[in-house]
Amino acid sequence: MSTVKAPSEPADGLAAVVALRRLADRLEAEQVERAIGDGWSWALVAEALGVTRQAVHKKHASRLKGLG
Amino acid sequence: MFNRFTKDARTVVVAAREEALAAGSSTVEAEHLLLALARRPHPVLQRANLDAEAVTEALAAETAASLAAVGVDWDVASRARTGEPRFAASAKLALERALPVAVQRGDHRLTSDHVLLGVLEADIGTVPRALKLAGVDRAGLRAAV
Repeated sequence: MSTVKAPSEPADGLAAVVALRRLADRLEAEQVERAIGDGWSWALVAEALGVTRQAVHKKHASRLKGLG
Repeated sequence: MFNRFTKDARTVVVAAREEALAAGSSTVEAEHLLLALARRPHPVLQRANLDAEAVTEALAAETAASLAAVGVDWDVASRARTGEPRFAASAKLALERALPVAVQRGDHRLTSDHVLLGVLEADIGTVPRALKLAGVDRAGLRAAV
């Protein structure tokens, strides 16, 4: 990843925001799965992500059942 | 809104949720409706060489291009499992747009074709960008439905 550039057109810039959200979403899913698999507590994962424990649990717990 | 949906249109909505899940997306978007329709396959999409694989490729190309515009390089192919995806604004908008299209055509019930037209109606967002990148004539596609 290099320095974030500013697209010239708003349509391109906004589409980049959408794509970046998708990327962050995917990265979060992968890394939360990894952390829980490595034995991290939900509280620790939540603190690392800067969200509440409830938020991270609600978003990821069901799909990671059996891992943590 | 859903009470005017035919069983056929409901099937598309259910399949779109599955497409989102399979793609590792936390949201059901308009592109998942399009993917669900392409996977059937849909004759109009098929004539435009838009099977599910082609749509997937077009969407990946759009994401890569949009990220490249801000200097980010990402292999879209990597996917994680997600929880239950929620219905996001772009998919809701496509379904909302499908209703007036059905009314305009004098149809009382909403079919999968109306859903497709609702998806194709968007001038802005991931779907039109992906189709444009893939060289698809969206207006022509709409006229063919």
